[in-house]
Amino acid sequence: MISKRFSLQFIFALSVTTFSIYLVFFLNPDGAPRILLNLITFAGIYGLSAIGLNVHFGWTGLLNFGHASFMGVGAYVTLLLMPHSAGREGVVITTGLPFFAALIIGIIAAALFGLLLGLPAIRLRGDYLAIVTIAAAEIFRLLVRDLESITGGVYGIINYTENFQKYRPNFIDDFSDNLGFSAAQAWVCLAAWISILFTVLLLKRLNNSPWGRALRAVREDEDAVRAMGKNAVWLKLQSFMLGAGIAGLSGVLLAFNYGSLESTVFIPLLTFYVWAIMILGGVGTITGPIFGSIIFWVIISETDRLAYILFENANGQQLAGVRFLLVGVLIMFLMIFRPSGLLGKKEELLLDVK
Amino acid sequence: MLDQLGNGLLLGIIISVASVALSLLYGVTRIVNFAHGEIIALGAIATLFFSSPLDYRVLFLEKFSPLGLNFAISCFLAILVCGLFGGLLEVFLFRPLRKNDVGNIAVLVVTIGLSILVRHLYLLFASGRVQNFPLELQRRQTYLFFDMTPRNFNVLIAGIIVMIIVGLLLTYTRLGKAMRAVRDSEELSSVSGINSDNIILITWVSSSMLAGLAGIFQATINDVRWNMGFLILLLIFAGTVLGGIGTSFGAMVGGFMIGILVQVSVGLPFMEGHAEAKNAVALGIMILILLFRPQGIFGQKERIS
Amino acid sequence: MLNNLISVKNLKKSFGGLKAVDVQELSFKEGELTSIIGPNGAGKTTFFDLISGFQNADSGDILLNENNISNSQPYKIARMGMVRTFQLTKVFDRMTVLENLLFSGSEVNNDSFLRSILKLNSQKSYEKSLKEKAIEIMKDLNIGHMADSYARELSGGQKKLLELARAIINKPEILLLDEPLAGVNPKLAEDILSIIKKLSDNGITIIMVEHNIEAVMKISERIVVLAEGSLIADGSPSEIRSDKNVIEAYLGKADE
Repeated sequence: MISKRFSLQFIFALSVTTFSIYLVFFLNPDGAPRILLNLITFAGIYGLSAIGLNVHFGWTGLLNFGHASFMGVGAYVTLLLMPHSAGREGVVITTGLPFFAALIIGIIAAALFGLLLGLPAIRLRGDYLAIVTIAAAEIFRLLVRDLESITGGVYGIINYTENFQKYRPNFIDDFSDNLGFSAAQAWVCLAAWISILFTVLLLKRLNNSPWGRALRAVREDEDAVRAMGKNAVWLKLQSFMLGAGIAGLSGVLLAFNYGSLESTVFIPLLTFYVWAIMILGGVGTITGPIFGSIIFWVIISETDRLAYILFENANGQQLAGVRFLLVGVLIMFLMIFRPSGLLGKKEELLLDVK
Repeated sequence: MLDQLGNGLLLGIIISVASVALSLLYGVTRIVNFAHGEIIALGAIATLFFSSPLDYRVLFLEKFSPLGLNFAISCFLAILVCGLFGGLLEVFLFRPLRKNDVGNIAVLVVTIGLSILVRHLYLLFASGRVQNFPLELQRRQTYLFFDMTPRNFNVLIAGIIVMIIVGLLLTYTRLGKAMRAVRDSEELSSVSGINSDNIILITWVSSSMLAGLAGIFQATINDVRWNMGFLILLLIFAGTVLGGIGTSFGAMVGGFMIGILVQVSVGLPFMEGHAEAKNAVALGIMILILLFRPQGIFGQKERIS
Repeated sequence: MLNNLISVKNLKKSFGGLKAVDVQELSFKEGELTSIIGPNGAGKTTFFDLISGFQNADSGDILLNENNISNSQPYKIARMGMVRTFQLTKVFDRMTVLENLLFSGSEVNNDSFLRSILKLNSQKSYEKSLKEKAIEIMKDLNIGHMADSYARELSGGQKKLLELARAIINKPEILLLDEPLAGVNPKLAEDILSIIKKLSDNGITIIMVEHNIEAVMKISERIVVLAEGSLIADGSPSEIRSDKNVIEAYLGKADE
């Protein structure tokens, strides 16, 4: 285990990640702490989401292209259970559950949504599962947009952050004042990375357990698994629920990072970001998405600047488009030339399924 | 509900043509091409570029002027451009991947990355604005039991004719038979003297041209947007799945049905005030089909799970 | 009189018009070592698939210990005590030989998600005894030295042994062996045969599909012959050897 931890690949990934963080300081002489905090927060949230996606794709070989909807279910269920304001008129709801209770229910809701979607869909062949998950995510988005009375639709939900920020310890405030960034965001950042820590520990434990072993067998050969008396479909469903629950948690964190939530947040583009991060970090590795996420966000945020220089006549929407363009290039490039990403092992890839 | 029938037929012909194109490609190459929507959009954007008047400046970061050509010629050229694009994709991207034995899942993810890339190139160069072909506005007229503008009616008829020709070509020509042979087995067909690389290239080119045509239809009936392909991609999948994956006839019928279903569903009682969610109805149908009758209406029982 | 462990009645399966299996009546008794032979395309593997649940019959009944398993799922049938191997070995390539066995031998409750998170001591001790069981079986089948190697590194013959080990670690009641000697060198074939014989002597009901007629004749108590999906002979090795229909089925094919 120790030799694996400090393998060449790991050191390389660590160096690239450290270098990219340094790059942020280098390119932003003023306000670097603020920019860095923002970056590390997004990296943590998306990294967590990618870890969840990795359970689907890396551990179980499931092509889930509706990941954003799992994040969305987690976020909306949690927020709606706490005091908040929703909709065009800002209808205020003052009753609700305490934060942690709502969070647990939100995560379970996301896992149940995974069960709901997985029950019929998990038997489908790869490409069909991809289509079904995209379609389900789109239905989710449309439902959120149209059920305005509940979700606030396009006007969304606001005034919920206090439910979480009220637990913020004083040392965060002091720390933030000294460094010049938002204490609220620092608190979310800390929460995100603590979540990652717990999730990674949980997954490492599962990976080395009989359950993890069974899942690996399913990945290798489902028929043989059945011939040994094990229910391959149920194992896949459990993995789907696990990844969905993790995604749900990341969705809640995203909602608290934004401060407001509406129907344009959990969209396909979000799913594609998470996919790019997962592939970059290394499919099938537990910690890969963390590195992938940091590097990804450095690339995305710093190239905004590049786009501004290259395309003078472009408006804001078009410049934002450059960012997505890069995501597309990154996904293609990685899948073609380096599908194992930073930390993955070529032999462990499932991509040779025909 | 009947007044939506006209709209349904129009949406239907767009999806129908696009579904046949997708089905053709999938049938021969077994690739689910998520970038299909971008080829459709290319047909529209290219036509816009060729036909817009010389002083029209929204496109292309206001650096390049359109060509101001005759509309019909622009359409024709645009379709060729799409065919060329498809051919280049096959030669420089998908053929190398195929030769290197890259698995279908990896190729699928590559097409997703490709679609994101190309779509945002369109955003950059064609801007995020909704644009229209340089054609005059027309009044709706009544045909049989639906209303639509004469131009749209022509589009409908043209689309149907194209579909019939494609169907005939596939069934009765040597090329069509060769395509079906490659679909059924790449190895066997190469043994019987069919060059599968060429067939696949021809498939990419013709599928892309059809997709471009669908894009022109869509732009004529609606408008030109940078993400117009992405917007109907899911509906195209729904049409292909409904009709039966791998059969062009199925895709044709499925596409029409989805188009009609989507528009007609606007009139359903529970859709009151939620007209934009009409797509969700089509998607829901698609999911149900994949779960209970994955081969669609006309498809053959192939390994879906 | 031994019980009928498995019974098949009017079992039919066709693929697009072509008849694959059409067996009116066939039963297997407890403790028997039966081989199923027949020319290529006779439907032997399809028959296996049908009784182990990997394919659904078009019509007919399959009874296991009086339970109708005609539409049961494969994993349920395996849990009832009928374990099968596959013609093309299905070892878990990217797992070690030991892990292959640990997975196979682990009972379903042990694999549970909840238990794996809680990491109870009971699971630890179960795993320990499981590992001992696995090591013993690996030793019996002579693959102990490959315990920590990835299964994909094994030779063809060793993979067959691993597949066999996986099948028996659960002490199944019935063992369906699909071409256990295919592609295996003569010496290893001898070893596998003696292992199969030993298993049968220990009371496991064995049904074996095999092309190696010599081996079949040597160890089978009973031979069933399928040709073009139907049963054409059923008896002891000496009876089968001189059965006219059998000879015709095999020679007839050679003439075509």
